[in-house]
Amino acid sequence: MAMAALRRESRRFVPFVSSPNPINAFRSTIAPTEEQVGLGVRSISTQVVRNRMKSVKNIQKITKAMKMVAASKLRAIQVRAENSRGLWQPFTALLGDTPSVNVKKNVIVTISSDKGLCGGINSTSVKISRALHKLNSGPDTECKYVILGEKGKAQLIRDSKKDIELIMTELQKNFLNYTQVSVVADDILKNVEFDALRIVFNKFASVVSFLPTTATVLSPEIVERESEAGGKIGDLDSYEIEGGETKSEVLQNLAEFQFSCVMFNAVLENACSEQGARMSAMDSSSRNAGDMLDRLTLTYNRTRQASITTELIEIISGASALEG
Amino acid sequence: MASTAAVPFWRSAGMTYITYSNICANLVRNCLKEPYKSEAISREKVHFSVSKWVDGKPQKPTIRSDTPEV
Repeated sequence: MAMAALRRESRRFVPFVSSPNPINAFRSTIAPTEEQVGLGVRSISTQVVRNRMKSVKNIQKITKAMKMVAASKLRAIQVRAENSRGLWQPFTALLGDTPSVNVKKNVIVTISSDKGLCGGINSTSVKISRALHKLNSGPDTECKYVILGEKGKAQLIRDSKKDIELIMTELQKNFLNYTQVSVVADDILKNVEFDALRIVFNKFASVVSFLPTTATVLSPEIVERESEAGGKIGDLDSYEIEGGETKSEVLQNLAEFQFSCVMFNAVLENACSEQGARMSAMDSSSRNAGDMLDRLTLTYNRTRQASITTELIEIISGASALEG
Repeated sequence: MASTAAVPFWRSAGMTYITYSNICANLVRNCLKEPYKSEAISREKVHFSVSKWVDGKPQKPTIRSDTPEV
């Protein structure tokens, strides 16, 4: 009676163990194929599964550590990013932000990260930049890219090689500071001809959410044209300006300083979003590794159990044959 | 009054307002007393690499850095 029960058990296990069809997606890679097992070998080696479990465990350790690192970096940079918002807000109050301005020479400044493994923040900023490029390039207007960061470069090189003007990388080797960003801004101002700069970056909202944002900085001539046309920029006349500079000089200084301030904020916000995104990406990947480990453990135990059962059946049937 | 006279000078020397303000900021930083001075100066490090692209081809990247390569 007991033997019959066992035999039924084994029959249930046999197709599970030696079936070439994968039951789970990952089984296909770990279940040894029939050639590996060879003829006449009834039990399956659990070596493959054990190795796989070890590697998954190691990956999980690494992703957990990366998450911790990102979390501590995020805390430091978040304060700075939030403080730096005070730099561009007065400019927007004074000069306004005009994303819809229509000018001849557009330059898109795409801000991305140097390192990967941080979710989709680089592809979102690249996507927004492409959309802006499409929107602003026409028969009589031209549109160029200035790219900050290794990852945006890798993505934009593929389809818009011709439109790349300047690429800047290794920004985050030292801690981000204003002097550095202002030198970057200075280099952009000196090397690129523009009527309007459109800065694309990810604005940090919370650890899990960041908004792709564009900030527009106009060149002094365009600012002057706009201010003559009235609107918000026209309010500049109501300010009392010290010194004997003419209005165009003041506007030029202001536009340059605005650009460096907006860049500073954008770079910080993007770095902050990068760490946040990396944190959540690493969190979910260590969770996935945990899930995978659970499934592997289950498979491992089942395989082991099945081989034990087979051996038991062999012993019992041998013994009963001797008795009979 | 000094700024009134200075504007055309630094502008005609090919500087932008950003360079000008950075030089000014550096001067102010140098006026700090010692423990704060070196701290403030060490905070403002510049390091990045720039490469200009012409006709879809990258030119040789130049590294802008104020710390010597190790």
